Amino acid sequence: MRPEIFAVIAVVGAFVWAFRALPMRLDMAKMPEKGALARFFAATGVAAIATLFAASVLPEFSAGRTLPALIGSAAVLAVYLPSRSVVLATLAGAAAYGAGFAALA
Amino acid sequence: MAQDFRRGAVVGAPIVLGYFPIAFSFGVAATKAGLSPIEAVVMSLLMYSGAAQFMAIALIAAGAGFWISVATLVGMSLRHVLYGPSLLRSAGLDAPPKGALVWGFGLTDEVFGAGLGAFARGQAMTGGFIWGLALVSYAAWVCGTAVGAVAGASALAAWPAVDAGLSFMLTALFLALLLSIMQRAQLPVIAVALAGTVACSFAISPTAGIMAGMILGALVGTVVGGRDAA
Repeated sequence: MRPEIFAVIAVVGAFVWAFRALPMRLDMAKMPEKGALARFFAATGVAAIATLFAASVLPEFSAGRTLPALIGSAAVLAVYLPSRSVVLATLAGAAAYGAGFAALA
Repeated sequence: MAQDFRRGAVVGAPIVLGYFPIAFSFGVAATKAGLSPIEAVVMSLLMYSGAAQFMAIALIAAGAGFWISVATLVGMSLRHVLYGPSLLRSAGLDAPPKGALVWGFGLTDEVFGAGLGAFARGQAMTGGFIWGLALVSYAAWVCGTAVGAVAGASALAAWPAVDAGLSFMLTALFLALLLSIMQRAQLPVIAVALAGTVACSFAISPTAGIMAGMILGALVGTVVGGRDAA
């Protein structure tokens, strides 16, 4: 195990644990829902996920896999909206992308 | 206690069915990116965060520095801060069941969503229930990673379509997560984050694009949210 990789895993893992477990002990349930800190936390999460979606889909366009990427994204939308399941939508998106890739190959 | 644990495990069954293949694809992707099977499994054991883990291997493969990697991955995980308090509120509890410092680590997006749904249907937030729900999901994630990592990067060489599908898993996961946490009031945040990422990725580098998108989006959300609340 390379130390530089373990360092990233350990530090990020400690933050993940702190973000998930500590707020229940620190009485953050009483944090004002519209306060600046709550707005910051809420906005950071959404901004991060939107950013990472853009960052992960951009290489698809530049690599000439636009159509499979569009098919996969459409499948995520089509499954998520009725089911509200992140897991099912993710699996459907990956399956549709693979099918689109195979059809175009 | 045992009955509540079983009930939690049953509620977590759909998560197990979804987590195993996604974790398998993470294990394969991690070994493709140059991580050893042990490094992949340790990442799942200690980070237990699908989106952050996929991004971590992309950052490691791109040679991103320690602080850029940590800042990006920690920023991605900030949304989890609100999950525990939200669950307590929805279950009508002032304090969490025993062992929250341990089972709290298992509050992923999907476990949080499944818990909210169960409490809305009248399930009590007991220690046994939350342990059952969190533990089966965690086990599926770690086992899926181990199987994928041991199978290795060449496991899917004979099935290019499956390989391609698994390579899209990260993008699909981000899009599904975005849909799951999106509200109308957050559309400016999303628009600015997307635009900032695309512009800076092309103008500077993909890593700069990620940092710019996250920072600009969060700033817009804090300011716009404040105006809406006023």
